[in-house]
Amino acid sequence: MSNLPPSHDTQTAWLSFQLHHAFAGFHLDAQVALHHPWTILFGPSGSGKTTILRTIAGLFTPDSGQISLQHETIFARLKNSPCTANVPPLRRRIGLVTQAPALFPHYTAAQNVGFSLRRLSATERNRKVQALLQIFHVEGLHDHFPSQLSGGQQQRIALARTLAAEPRLLLLDEPFSALDRTSRQEALSGLRQWLQQREVPVLMVTHDLAEAFSASDEVVVLESGSVIAQGKADEVLHIQRAQLLKELGVPSGP
Amino acid sequence: MDIVALLLTLRLAIVTMLVLVLLALPLSYWLATTRWRGKIFIEAFASLPIVLPPTVLGFYLLVLLGPQTAFGRQMIRLLGHPLAFSFSGLVVGSVLYSLPFAVQPMVAGFAAIDPAMLEAAAVLGSGRWDILRRIMLPLSRSSILVAAVLTFAHTVGEFGVVLMIGGNLPGLTRTLSIALYDQVQDFAYAQANRTALVLLVVSFAALTLLYSQRRKGRLV
Repeated sequence: MSNLPPSHDTQTAWLSFQLHHAFAGFHLDAQVALHHPWTILFGPSGSGKTTILRTIAGLFTPDSGQISLQHETIFARLKNSPCTANVPPLRRRIGLVTQAPALFPHYTAAQNVGFSLRRLSATERNRKVQALLQIFHVEGLHDHFPSQLSGGQQQRIALARTLAAEPRLLLLDEPFSALDRTSRQEALSGLRQWLQQREVPVLMVTHDLAEAFSASDEVVVLESGSVIAQGKADEVLHIQRAQLLKELGVPSGP
Repeated sequence: MDIVALLLTLRLAIVTMLVLVLLALPLSYWLATTRWRGKIFIEAFASLPIVLPPTVLGFYLLVLLGPQTAFGRQMIRLLGHPLAFSFSGLVVGSVLYSLPFAVQPMVAGFAAIDPAMLEAAAVLGSGRWDILRRIMLPLSRSSILVAAVLTFAHTVGEFGVVLMIGGNLPGLTRTLSIALYDQVQDFAYAQANRTALVLLVVSFAALTLLYSQRRKGRLV
């Protein structure tokens, strides 16, 4: 574990946070600074990944901590005191896509994608929605209601809906885990295509080793609420990798 | 057939329904979203009319609105007449009496909305008011309709509260259910039969409308 303790250089980081929270029998105590455009938050179930993402998005208030996004403090709280800074989720401009698409059932696919664009004119909104639907290969589903869509289609609409709001940070909480390979690849390629045109960093949670190794610049390894390593996937995940290879019956090299 | 009583009953039911929907919406929204623990007392209070004899509610209202209390004296001074034994008094009584029938479906409707959806809307940049208008109200539309129909039907069928607080003033506070009681007291059974039938049909029609809308609502 070459990068232990993780780098805390918050000067150049686009996102840095330190969070402390005690649940019943669980202690979250994480301090991270992120510099790379695509970071994986890796850890087993119950290690606190989802709580971290929800806290960054503003949906959860921890006991204490601080979050800085692009040098703006969006959350600050000392233990046992009220928050000194706590930007509400609606003004954080952070996109969050979780395992559940949570589409609005009374709106069509296009209306879902355009949900955050009510300030635009109808033509502008349509153009933007149409472009996003095209990126995710779901332009034919424009007028469909969520109940008429498959899980994979719903998840792509949910991604498009999140990107439409032009977030300055994208949080992905295992959004592809429930999808089949084709849907997953279509969703990922659409996402990459969109990211190419913008400099929006991504923090993605996964407990899937293969996902952690693919297309990520940096991996933060979380275990029972604490960061135990941060660095390149092959540097910080070699133990997990060896373990997986052993389980699969493949010799793990030198 | 007492047309005057029928019109009065319908007028009371419609006014009560409108007042209650407007009153119960913010109350139900608050009950469904607040984390304040003391809300159980408000919930219990709002449900009291289900179990309380209507005469008890009517009695307390009569006392409260009468000249014996400071509040009642203030109201009399303000209106120029006592609230009891007037149409406005009936509305006040009916609103309280049917409150649970408006609040309970609405709270259930709001509470049934997946919190993940509300969080998604918040992260997408929606404030409380926007979430209420674009997510919560449309998704609880059928619950609001249930509340409206139930309060209407419940007010049409009201007897005890109306009798206590309204007295029995023809054209002013004598509703159909009270007219029916009078007709039976007078042995006017043919008349009573017609009155009873009207009450039955109105209530049945209201509930049929309710269930037809519910079935439609399932598709969305």
